[in-house]
Amino acid sequence: MSRRSYSKHIPDFRLISHYAENGKSAVHSMNAWTKIALLACVLALAIVLGEILLLLLLYLLTLALFVIARLPLRLLVGWYSLPVFFVVTLALFFIFTEPGHELVSFSLLGIHVVITDAGVLLLAKLMLRALAVVTFSLALVMTTRFQNIMTITSRLLPRPLANIFLLSYRFTFETTDEVSDVLDAMHSRSGSLARGIARQTGIFAGIFGLGFIHAFERGERIAKAMEARGFSGKFPEHGSLTRPSVGGYALVTLAAVCFAIALYTRYFDSSLLGGL
Amino acid sequence: MAHVHLEDGAFSLFWVIVWTAIALCLIWIAVYVLGRRESLTTRKMAIAAMCVAVGFAIFQIEVPIPFIGAIHMNLTPLIGILVGPGIGSLCVLIINIFSAAIGHGGWGMIGANTIVNLIEVTMGFYLYKFCRTTIKLGRFPSGFGAATIALITSAFAVVAIVTISGIQDSAQGAEDTLRNMLLLAAVNVVAAVIERVVTGYIVSFIGRVRPDLLPDYERGGERESGKPEKEAIPGV
Repeated sequence: MSRRSYSKHIPDFRLISHYAENGKSAVHSMNAWTKIALLACVLALAIVLGEILLLLLLYLLTLALFVIARLPLRLLVGWYSLPVFFVVTLALFFIFTEPGHELVSFSLLGIHVVITDAGVLLLAKLMLRALAVVTFSLALVMTTRFQNIMTITSRLLPRPLANIFLLSYRFTFETTDEVSDVLDAMHSRSGSLARGIARQTGIFAGIFGLGFIHAFERGERIAKAMEARGFSGKFPEHGSLTRPSVGGYALVTLAAVCFAIALYTRYFDSSLLGGL
Repeated sequence: MAHVHLEDGAFSLFWVIVWTAIALCLIWIAVYVLGRRESLTTRKMAIAAMCVAVGFAIFQIEVPIPFIGAIHMNLTPLIGILVGPGIGSLCVLIINIFSAAIGHGGWGMIGANTIVNLIEVTMGFYLYKFCRTTIKLGRFPSGFGAATIALITSAFAVVAIVTISGIQDSAQGAEDTLRNMLLLAAVNVVAAVIERVVTGYIVSFIGRVRPDLLPDYERGGERESGKPEKEAIPGV
């Protein structure tokens, strides 16, 4: 299978789909509802947990799940680039101004810059929270088959939204390939995006404009095909998604209890954590 | 362009719930209005889905900029101009869900990001319509102007959302957060020049190649003076 992506830093939908459809691991066989519920718990825990050790534990647990699912860690490291970039971009504005004990200080263009322990701790916490959720989220999409995503989407979202979601999920592969082709063609002619900003904005617009025109044309063709096949406003569901197993319920209950404890200790009684 | 570039855990649980609830209300209104008018035909649905797919594909391209690092475009004002605020609002929500799934913005930030993108989509649509029908500008200046105002407004919406919410575990007050975020917004507004120009070019390009794809009030494909628009994208 060929792997095509804009760069090593952006998850490739086709590869994600390949792992989701063909992978065989304990996480792949886990019920999709269980994984969705666990994602909600991981998200809630990442938001509510305030202690760095507990956040580190949460991150390690999500990483362990990724490993158990036999997903490629090397790719994950590359895919961390965007979340890390976003966290650092934000933290840069706070790390130097956060009140706390001075760790490092220097002068930059006549401005006295101070990095405090609280600033570094804030960066570390934001990073662990982001990476924990990203790791679990990627593990979820890389271990859940499209058929199950389709069932869950149809049940959770209102019909118009679910229909657009499901159609766009399928179209994403096509459009990603199309944009990749255009970028490949540009690179093969010694073009570059960096140069494009100053001198080739028109070409950019041409690439994206053509993308939209092709999208509209393809959309019209697909709509005609759907109507010709008697589309009634709802996509047929193939197969059914069973209820979670007892083990799945137990896992979700455990995660929910952890969240409830974290919520209580964070907002009502922090003495429960002891010395953490 | 201007969306809340924060990952999960940056906002407290309370603010995640607040922004998500507001976004859900706005999306519910859009779904209700579309359903009531029975205006979401199969054709519109397929086009909206394709817009999501293209918008998401473009959203993933990081464009390197000297001294700034990299920016990416989401062309939400353009999506608003092309499909309108109703369907456009559904498109941006789905783009944000896809993005969260691959770590490009957090799951908890979908609400805040959707609110910001809704501002872009809605303002993009109405400002473009205003420029074309009331001021009677050409397609390029209309697209450029609509995207400019929409993106600047949304950049300040980001500042407002982050300042109101505060960054979790940060000891800084609203004043410090506002100062930091204004700096970020200033960078965003400058970098968004590219997206504004690209929006103007694309609208102009589509107007020449497939004018029927533009909204109803655009029918005719020519400016009010009757002269065809100047070729906006040389060689394309």
